[in-house]
Amino acid sequence: MSDKQKSLTYLTKYLKNYKKPILISVAFYLIVTIAQVIAPSLLGQTVTNLSAFVKGHGSLGVFYQALAWMAGFYAFNSVATYIAWMMMTRFNANANNDMRKGLFGKLQRMTIRYFDTHQDGQILSLFNSDLDNIFNALNNAFFEIISQSLLFVGTIIVMFVINWKLALSVVATTPLILLLSWIIMKKAHVYLDNQQDRVGELNAYINEQLNGENVIITQGLRDQSVAGFKKENAKVREAMFKGQFYSGILNPLVSGFSLLNFAIVIATGAYMIMTKQVSQAAGLGLIVTFTEYSWTYFQPLTQVTSIYSMLQLALTGARRLETVEEQEEENTVPDGKTISGVNDAVRLEDVHFGYTPDKEILHGVSIEVPKGQSVAVVGPTGSGKTTIMNLINRFYDVNSGAVTFDGVDVRDLKLENLRSNVGIVLQDSVLFSGTVADNIRYGKPEASMDEVIAAAKEAQLHDFVMTLPEQYDTPIENGQDNFSTGQKQLLSIARTILVDPAFLILDEATSNVDTVTEEKIQKAMDNVIAGRTSFVIAHRLKTILNSDKIVVLKDGQVIEEGPHADLIKKRGFYYQLYTSQMAFE
Amino acid sequence: MKILLPYFKRYKKDVFLTLITIVFSAFATLYQPRLLQQVQNELLADQQQAVIRDTAILIGLGLLSIITGVLNVYYASRITQGVVSDLREDTYAKIQTFSLANVQQFSSESLSVRLINDMQQIMNMIMTIFMQLIRMPLILIGSIIMAIVTIPRYWWAVVVLLALIMGLGVVAVKQITAMFDRFQMYMDKISGRTGEFLQGVRVVKSFNQSPQEIAKLNKDSDELNEVNIKVGYWFSTILPGAQLISYLVISLVVYLIGTSILQHPQDISVITPYVNYVLTMLFAILLVGMAVMQISRGNVSLRRIQEIMDTQPDVVFNEKAPEDALGGSIEFDDVSFTYPDGQQPVLKHISFAVAPGQMVGIVGATGSGKSTLAQLIARLYDPTTGKIKIGGSDLRQVNEKALRKTVSYVLQKAVLFSGTIADNLRQGKKDATSYELERAAQMAQASEFIQRYDETFDHEVEERSANLSGGQKQRLSIARGIIAGSPILILDDSTSALDAESEKLVQETLEKQLPDTTKIMIAEKIVSVMHADKILVLDNGRLVAEGTHEELLKTSPVYQEIYKTQKAKERKEEL
Repeated sequence: MSDKQKSLTYLTKYLKNYKKPILISVAFYLIVTIAQVIAPSLLGQTVTNLSAFVKGHGSLGVFYQALAWMAGFYAFNSVATYIAWMMMTRFNANANNDMRKGLFGKLQRMTIRYFDTHQDGQILSLFNSDLDNIFNALNNAFFEIISQSLLFVGTIIVMFVINWKLALSVVATTPLILLLSWIIMKKAHVYLDNQQDRVGELNAYINEQLNGENVIITQGLRDQSVAGFKKENAKVREAMFKGQFYSGILNPLVSGFSLLNFAIVIATGAYMIMTKQVSQAAGLGLIVTFTEYSWTYFQPLTQVTSIYSMLQLALTGARRLETVEEQEEENTVPDGKTISGVNDAVRLEDVHFGYTPDKEILHGVSIEVPKGQSVAVVGPTGSGKTTIMNLINRFYDVNSGAVTFDGVDVRDLKLENLRSNVGIVLQDSVLFSGTVADNIRYGKPEASMDEVIAAAKEAQLHDFVMTLPEQYDTPIENGQDNFSTGQKQLLSIARTILVDPAFLILDEATSNVDTVTEEKIQKAMDNVIAGRTSFVIAHRLKTILNSDKIVVLKDGQVIEEGPHADLIKKRGFYYQLYTSQMAFE
Repeated sequence: MKILLPYFKRYKKDVFLTLITIVFSAFATLYQPRLLQQVQNELLADQQQAVIRDTAILIGLGLLSIITGVLNVYYASRITQGVVSDLREDTYAKIQTFSLANVQQFSSESLSVRLINDMQQIMNMIMTIFMQLIRMPLILIGSIIMAIVTIPRYWWAVVVLLALIMGLGVVAVKQITAMFDRFQMYMDKISGRTGEFLQGVRVVKSFNQSPQEIAKLNKDSDELNEVNIKVGYWFSTILPGAQLISYLVISLVVYLIGTSILQHPQDISVITPYVNYVLTMLFAILLVGMAVMQISRGNVSLRRIQEIMDTQPDVVFNEKAPEDALGGSIEFDDVSFTYPDGQQPVLKHISFAVAPGQMVGIVGATGSGKSTLAQLIARLYDPTTGKIKIGGSDLRQVNEKALRKTVSYVLQKAVLFSGTIADNLRQGKKDATSYELERAAQMAQASEFIQRYDETFDHEVEERSANLSGGQKQRLSIARGIIAGSPILILDDSTSALDAESEKLVQETLEKQLPDTTKIMIAEKIVSVMHADKILVLDNGRLVAEGTHEELLKTSPVYQEIYKTQKAKERKEEL
């Protein structure tokens, strides 16, 4: 699909829900436009009546009548404009609201791969900049285009009806103007597109830098950060200058041409009189009339060029948004199977996987987690532990092999069903704005306060929450400095406890919690794990000693497997890990 | 607006040239109808010479209007882009003088909205000023004068008209300006929500909470929409309202002329020009009004920039102090600390001293204040009371460059930036040679995985470092921390995602290869700090014990408790 088609597809999609208000307001606006053309003749009528009265041919009554008509017409015109604009405002704002919601909804359905490969700031600028551009353009340009094209076409018809030769002289320069405009618009288009891309990049830069501000400060990188900003900013400046310039010169060019066109009309008229094509009296009248028409003919052209950059930015925005809307979505497997709990086992069966086609990370991994058991995966960094979690929860899909729940391939399960059966405590804990309680009941918004407190207690978070100024109602804002990393993790554990999943994945969950708390969590987790099937990705060996089975992963392959005691006896890789990490008396 | 003045001064020449081009193009605009009228009259009077002359002038005027118009756009664009990009740069530079607390108070999302979206508004404002606003008052004043001159008797009608339209305008502008504030607030909110979602996308998905996220955003979005609609309603009222007022006044004046026409028969000829002048006036007022609106929206944004500019960084360094690195000793003298928006002190009366080259472990429960203590050493915050000295100098008196050269702080949560691995490591030392990169990577046990990439150090780090595991990120973060060879190295639980073997290797290497560096290790694992020269035990913000592993095992109950949870099941000889 070409860029333009993309933009139009996008706009049509969101505007078509407002067909009725659009049609009605456009109809009103057409009336307004016609009324604008007629109004001067009513004024003329009034003046004629009045001068007739002065010359003694009429009465003031006729004048008053004409005046009343004129006033009534004016009032009607204002009211119609008011109605048309009110309707337009409403459907435009609502359509923009739909776009914003649509974009966010789309983001919700997209694959994790998209988020892992796109900068947050780039996505944010769709909200901050592109949606705004569309809104502004529709607000300012929508009626302008309709009424101006009407005027344009109307003028052309009238001109050709009166005198086609002079009409031709009026439109003679149009091809030249169109060619010139086309060249400039093409350039402007490139630069305005470029401008939005550069702004997106700058946004991404700012986002990344400010989110890593603690590193910037402690590494003494502020000067460097400012220098990097200057570089991005200079690119934005350059792109914006070109965009503004090329889109800005169209208007003075076209209105300048409209002056030159007068000269052409006058010259043509004079030529027609000289060659006796028309009589002098008629010819002079025609020239005067056609200079007026030349003026009305150019009006729409200059008006439209003055809003060109606004239109172009909106089209660019629409294209960028449509590109997002076209992105692949997660397959939710709507008519897939459902399971409730794990009755037999969760298995990885000869799984091969890589994030990119050219680099495989897991080379034929098979792991079985039987019902009710706790299986731990240990292994050096980069061995692929976290990747397994991504596969079980279908953040990514295997290249070959399968992940199965009770023998059912996860790809055959309803996605929602799969994820509601799997609870994950992630490596990096994330808090959302809202209260502490909102965060704990994140996975189950309808949970009662008692459930929240019970979960917090189980996750050893309750005591800490009670020290907060408003306890469970304490708001969590951006930055979240009330919470240490460990406390955030406790909260994320509480969150998972509350939803009570059948299958639990702990992704290095205990790594940032200190050992005293870890011991408590371990106890809590032992309770949670009891009767539940679980999969623990950890390197704190102490936390997994009681696992039913420990799987040692190295370089994307399972190298050892068995309970703690067996692995110790084996004196292999696990033995080395254990002896290097634990304190011995 | 004041904030922009110095920036305009930088573009004096462009401002001057813009004004000249405006005057010329306004002249062309105003003169052209007159000239055209003249040509038409000459045509009707059959004055051929005059027609040819004025047609030539018309062509000249057209060319003049094209040239000045294009130049106006050129210079106005130069001013606009120059001023905005300078302002954006200064704003960002100002943000980079902020303390971490300052940044968090604004929130990084709000700061980036200010730098992008608000700047866009300011840009529109400047563009409006230089391409429209200056021209319009000329036309407005001209048409007011002409309307009054045309029929002096009814001067009061023009005054009434102006008063009514202005009244409507003032009310509307007030309402709309108030709503722009709310508009920006909801924009911030939506941006914040989206940012949060992008950060936590895995959590949202694994809890199946997309509906909840959507519901929250939709609520904000609807509120924003409400504001948009209200603003739109006001806009939709202004034009037809002003139109209605003008038309009624016109009708009234025409009526009055009609009733007194026998006394003033010559008034018939002024009706048409009068109407034209009133309509021009209306047109000019509306354009000025639009410009005012654009400016008031720009002003809201300017205020938000002003807020950043007016913020006093709450950690200020002494620029006069020397930039040389400080010594490696650390001294805490009765330090207590409460976070700016917190109520309870996080650290209470902490005093201790560390000699250069010592290795010090800090242990304690979650929330006991370990990370906070480390952040104070790096002066991310200032102590609420008490004093911290590094190399004998009070931290409040040192130069920032000196402190950054002295203290290298490897954070618990490894943050990498997009760019190559080498780019990230060089953040620790700008001019690091490839040998130095290699050495730091080796010490951080990162060499092995880096060498596995085809591009080795030139391998790209993706957004949120999604292509690296937690352990790999931490290794790179450690390598970045040690590459400069700072006298003091703080490792804030920064090996937590490393596997045991690599963690042990990292520690041994650091101990061996950096004997002169003061090493502060915040650790969850006793094994990590067992060999430290000194271990500090924190409990609920207090320093409860201090000593070597052996001493603490005997004397500190808190330490004993921690140790117990980390002991192997078996005795060494049982294995």
